[in-house]
Amino acid sequence: MLDMHSVPQQQPQGRQFNPYTENGGTILAIAGADFSVIAGDTRQSEGYSIQTRYAPKVFRLTDKAVLAVNGFAADGNMFVKKVRQRLEWYRHAHAKDMPIRAIARLIQTMLYARRFFPYYVYNILGGIEEDGTGAVYSFDPVGSYERETCRAAGAAQSLVQPFLDNQIYFKNQTPAAGTSFPSHLPLSTVLSLVIDSFTSATERHIEVGDGLEMYVVLARESTALQGVEGIGGVQEITMTEEGHRVFVIRRELKKD
Amino acid sequence: METSFALTGKGYVIIAADTTAARSIVKMKVDADKIKVLSPHLLMSYSGEPGDTIQFAEYVERNIRLYQIRNLYALTPSAAASWIRRSLAESLRSRNPYAVNLLVGGYDTTSHQPHLYWIDYLGTMTEIPFGAHGYGSYFALSLLDRYHDPEASLEEGLSTLKRCINEVAKRLVVSPDRYTVKVVDKDGVREVEL
Amino acid sequence: MSIMEYNGGSVVAMVGKDCVAIASDLRLGNQALGISSNFQKIFPVTDRIYVGLPGLATDLSTLRERFRFRVNMYTIKEEREIEPETFARLVSSTLYEHRFGPYFIEPVIAGLSKTPSGGVEPFIAATDLIGCLNFAKDFVVAGTASAKIFGVAEGLWEPNLEPEDLFETISQTLMNAVDRDAFSGWGCMVHVITKDRVITRTLKARMD
Repeated sequence: MLDMHSVPQQQPQGRQFNPYTENGGTILAIAGADFSVIAGDTRQSEGYSIQTRYAPKVFRLTDKAVLAVNGFAADGNMFVKKVRQRLEWYRHAHAKDMPIRAIARLIQTMLYARRFFPYYVYNILGGIEEDGTGAVYSFDPVGSYERETCRAAGAAQSLVQPFLDNQIYFKNQTPAAGTSFPSHLPLSTVLSLVIDSFTSATERHIEVGDGLEMYVVLARESTALQGVEGIGGVQEITMTEEGHRVFVIRRELKKD
Repeated sequence: METSFALTGKGYVIIAADTTAARSIVKMKVDADKIKVLSPHLLMSYSGEPGDTIQFAEYVERNIRLYQIRNLYALTPSAAASWIRRSLAESLRSRNPYAVNLLVGGYDTTSHQPHLYWIDYLGTMTEIPFGAHGYGSYFALSLLDRYHDPEASLEEGLSTLKRCINEVAKRLVVSPDRYTVKVVDKDGVREVEL
Repeated sequence: MSIMEYNGGSVVAMVGKDCVAIASDLRLGNQALGISSNFQKIFPVTDRIYVGLPGLATDLSTLRERFRFRVNMYTIKEEREIEPETFARLVSSTLYEHRFGPYFIEPVIAGLSKTPSGGVEPFIAATDLIGCLNFAKDFVVAGTASAKIFGVAEGLWEPNLEPEDLFETISQTLMNAVDRDAFSGWGCMVHVITKDRVITRTLKARMD
């Protein structure tokens, strides 16, 4: 006989909606003398599951600025959308593209505006400064930023950044007597290092792999392209006639 | 709070330990000697959980003495420190581990070299030129990085020790006001007044 | 607070052409506070085998004593030196004996084993803290900077390096990795084991 009085008492239950997740992947940017390379893998995962093997993390903003976003993909995509909207308004108001230095500060204010409900993304902005030099700006999720020569972020940051310290900044190396290390490397070397970094990260990190997208931003009259004719799969995606050129190079990475 | 320092110099080791025995916020005793003389050329400062400290220090003292009686010679500083470390490491994985931190300093009469060992309650041991335990370490170690000289005379060593004690007195909120200072060198162990 | 990160420290071993290298940092810390900048984590087992023991420093000392005892017993009973692979199995079983109350150490083993033809063959291995063996053909890592070492090693290492090139590779790998790790660094020590001799060098590194 079912005793109606022994129905389990309703206990108060706590439920919390977690608005964030991590989607893996890694991004990387390196500045040259008159160019900038911004790269990211294309795998998007959650936990041990791969959601898609092609989800771009690197976006062309203007012909002299490319933004890479890594962390929570939904926040990342929304953030890029909002930055692009602000850049379009700027174009309508000023009839020119926003300089990268100003984009960097814009990104800071947009991130800090959400100080207490942040976009869960690490941003790296690469492109060409108004003086024609290659630039990389890196951000934390709430807008702290600095201009650097190179930066890795994301799941494999800890694997890639010390490698870059060694190969870009020549840390722990001493130049041969009477010589000195270059402050900027040629494009061919930079592209090789980016490819090496991502193949290494793919080898040892489960959240990195599938595809690699490398954006190359060239300053006006840059000759950086000479010496990289051998690299295949280069596609030009320049939009304006201002002289800055943007290319994207797509590569396969291991899919296991 | 409990603080102890030690440093080596030319042919000697100096160990200093504060003299307070505290319980909660109360100073129960202000003239406690927390540096044991283990053998003619061996010193050991101890700090940590009250009760454990004295119990463990006396256990060590008696066993080092027993070795000397049985074998007619004392353990070298490195051998003594290894034995003490092992006792703590075995205690760590027992039902009731000793929570005692030590500085073991001695003069090796076979090689005529001073040796100093830093040992914590886990049984972590490392030979060091200078070291400290307790809150004083956060002030003293940077000073010793700057001023320690392995070739310094005893007078210079004691003045470096004074720098550490003064810094702790100046910057640590709950600083001790008295220390016992003992020196071990080729002539054996003696207490010195600062 | 993780027990494996309490004292800090890292070890890496790499295979070369008829040689192996093993290297570690020299820091001993208590969480963020540095205690010693001369704390060795790599020890000789025989003339041709070295073992690195990163992890909890008290267990490092204890395991070093235990391995010395067990290798000495092996040498006396067998009347010959232990081979690297045998030593790796000894390490593994010693750790697994404490499966449910482990020593917090992840050993790295590097050595040269004898081949039937009288030559030598490089051998490296690493285990986790309960003795699960990993026989790698390229390099093995352990310690607080392990992810960083993996990243650099994967970029710098190549097969069949001669002893001096292997020394350069392992040194650069370790130094650049530990410079990005707050719990490792304060100097490095490298051993390159060749058929004829062991090259041991202390590296001058960043002290921050």
